[in-house]
Amino acid sequence: MTVPEAASPAAQPIPLPPDFQVYFEPGEDQLLWERDRTHFPAQLTTFEGEFVSGALKRGLSHAMRRYEAPIDRMAIRILHGYMYQAMIPVTGTAEEMDARAKRAEARLMEVVGRLREQWEESWLPEIREHLRAMEATDPRAASEPELVAMLDDYDTRLGRLWEIHFEIVLPAYIVVSEFDELYRDLFDGEGFDAYRLLHGFPTKTFEVGRDLWRLSRVALESPEVTMVLETEAAVDVPARLEQFAAGRAFLTELGRHLAEYGHRTTNWGLSTPSFIEDPRPVLKVLKDYVGQPESADPTRELERLVAEREAAVADARERLQGYPAAVVGQFETMLEAAQVGLRLTEDHGFYIDAYGVSLARELLSEIGQRLAAAAVIGHPEDVLMLHGAEIRAALSDLTRSELHAGVAERRTHLARYADVEAPLMLGTLPPGPPPDSPFTRLTTKFSGAPAAPEEEGIVRGASGAAGTATGVARVVRSLADAARLKPGEILVAETTAPPWTPLFRVAAAVVTDTGGILSHSAVVAREYGIPAVVGAGRATTAIEDGDVVEVDGDAGTVRILRP
Amino acid sequence: MSRQEVHALRTHDADAPEVLWLGEPRAADAALTGGKAANLSRLAAAFDVPPGFVLAVPGAELPRSARATVARAYRRLAALTGVDEPAVAVRSSAVDEDGLDASFAGQHDTFLNVSGADQLWWAICRCVASFGADRALAYRRDAGLPEAPERVAVLVQWLVPADAAGVVFSAHPVTGARDAVVVNASFGLGESVVAGTVTPDALVVDRDDLAVREHAIADKRRMTVAVPGGTREVPVPGRLARMPAIDAAQASAAAALALALEREMGWPVDLEVAWAGSELFLLQCRPITTLSTDRSTA
Repeated sequence: MTVPEAASPAAQPIPLPPDFQVYFEPGEDQLLWERDRTHFPAQLTTFEGEFVSGALKRGLSHAMRRYEAPIDRMAIRILHGYMYQAMIPVTGTAEEMDARAKRAEARLMEVVGRLREQWEESWLPEIREHLRAMEATDPRAASEPELVAMLDDYDTRLGRLWEIHFEIVLPAYIVVSEFDELYRDLFDGEGFDAYRLLHGFPTKTFEVGRDLWRLSRVALESPEVTMVLETEAAVDVPARLEQFAAGRAFLTELGRHLAEYGHRTTNWGLSTPSFIEDPRPVLKVLKDYVGQPESADPTRELERLVAEREAAVADARERLQGYPAAVVGQFETMLEAAQVGLRLTEDHGFYIDAYGVSLARELLSEIGQRLAAAAVIGHPEDVLMLHGAEIRAALSDLTRSELHAGVAERRTHLARYADVEAPLMLGTLPPGPPPDSPFTRLTTKFSGAPAAPEEEGIVRGASGAAGTATGVARVVRSLADAARLKPGEILVAETTAPPWTPLFRVAAAVVTDTGGILSHSAVVAREYGIPAVVGAGRATTAIEDGDVVEVDGDAGTVRILRP
Repeated sequence: MSRQEVHALRTHDADAPEVLWLGEPRAADAALTGGKAANLSRLAAAFDVPPGFVLAVPGAELPRSARATVARAYRRLAALTGVDEPAVAVRSSAVDEDGLDASFAGQHDTFLNVSGADQLWWAICRCVASFGADRALAYRRDAGLPEAPERVAVLVQWLVPADAAGVVFSAHPVTGARDAVVVNASFGLGESVVAGTVTPDALVVDRDDLAVREHAIADKRRMTVAVPGGTREVPVPGRLARMPAIDAAQASAAAALALALEREMGWPVDLEVAWAGSELFLLQCRPITTLSTDRSTA
């Protein structure tokens, strides 16, 4: 009997919307370009675009080669300010690809088996060394030629940090994703059962929360400080605290917290001030914590997660009693590695995505001040509208003036596209899905599957955390904007970053446009026990601020209940 | 408790039930222990068969006093296996005058993964009582056998916590080739391999130097595992399905065992084996029945 061969689908060019024309180099239009809304929901400035593409190209390509992933390299294009990336797959005969996949699996598993040692003995010390070296420099005291040298030095160090970043995140996410697969295979696990075995380890994000909680308890010791935090707007808090002794003492405590944990911003990228520059988001959390009872102590929350984890692990071990040693061994190895892996998916970001980028921003701010003082640019923040080469040239010759026009032109260009709906995909759709591998399985869990077709009154995404909740939707564009979120409301955002974590205590549920089961929003929602629908595509546009919505975290749907 | 069980428990003052250990000469007497247990007992004298005993019950009635006898035997089994409360399989056979098992597969209860002296006693009672069960009685009537068997033998054998299990052929079961030993192995207890619900890894081992010549790793989707109160067939996790169930050394050891048994028996053999930790256990040994003479010389 012969089986008729299914017609293989052909590659399909994606039509360009009329208001989003782009020029592709020959061949580039054959790739599938996907917009990374998870990390870069907003437009990037010129320098940011260069910074981000450099980091990703270097870091991700390095890690893909190191682990022999079926991806040769990453291509990045910043189109009208929006970040697009394309994977250029490795090509070869079926045997070559098969052999490569086997080597990739072996290499990954080798790293996965000693993630903790790698982190503690190799990655973290090297990361700290680069951060220390950058922190040891003082841009404010440097001459212009020294600033150029610093820029070059930062470039080298950050480049290496991005390599480490992807050396960490690839195996860390893959092991969590593969543990999830193993757990489902073994126990017919549904939804998020596997993650209960992984959470409850103190991450850097937890550490920050715990220290903020401590600060809130310090504040409560002084009725005056408490009063200021309860009644004043975040922006006015520091000035009011300066006016009395207990307030000044509290500011000193806050300063210590920021020195340790303030090298973070509300989002990825260089354009957002760090919490050291602008502590308002931190004060907002403090204002919230001051009003919370002792039972909201993050340490108690962690204890609850630890107890839940230990019970889930004991239950799994009990169920594996009569299983072959190979299965039990695989389970134990993967469990331990995935527990470390899940922590690393969070902690690497504190040091590299947040700390490292924040140091780069400090250097650029100083350069911006110098260039603005010399009138090479109009405002200090215009420095982000320049290319690296332009910045270096300008620092060598402070009499240049032709950059003004360039900056203005670029700003106009970005503004023209600010309200355009940038397509999620450009280029050419490949004829079929990529071959199944740990890498492709991970991509789906991290970035989410392609968005479902639109339907009136309902937004579909992926199930991120179990449970249902109904409440008023707060469509939040930034962490500062999130001040409007009231307890019991539904947080709707394009994406969330680690500094958003305290909001998960306030929200009744979370809905995001981007991300999959392993995205930050989903991981944190599960830890806080609130429902989450992730990767819902156009949630932030389909849902209007103030709509009453019903979130079904298990089904991955949001029903809009307009009055 | 059912009527049959009450009947089975009625004290019987004639010969008390007797414990015969696998490997003892008397256990190899089919007239006392039945054909299957007698075979295992002969093998156990020379090979690593999972330890076990036969409770030979004259007249097919179980006196209460046998409970202490069973408990003592179970304690000895614990010492032999090095496990506090070893999991056992409990199977019964009727032993009739001709000394052979009347083949009524499925007519009597088999209990897998029984542990603890109380559970064991319960399982043995159920096994013995099953000889009075309607289906078994009808079968015996139809087969022209007396309604109550002369004696009942209950085999209690350690259920080896197998990491992998499989079958071994001392000659190729299909081509009949005699230069190699064929080993099939898969994860877990042997049921999935024997029942054919899994495609096992297939290894070919050289008869002369015991080197593994071929090792075809199959996509092993199912495995049988011990669960409280019995066994269950479950999916093999995806990550493991294409990993080898046994390594070359394990295959060579199984091949050596098959060749030793072939010499002992004088005919090509078909074994059921289990690997647990570093140990290899022989579960069953039969002649290969599919070999035809013209092929075996090819």
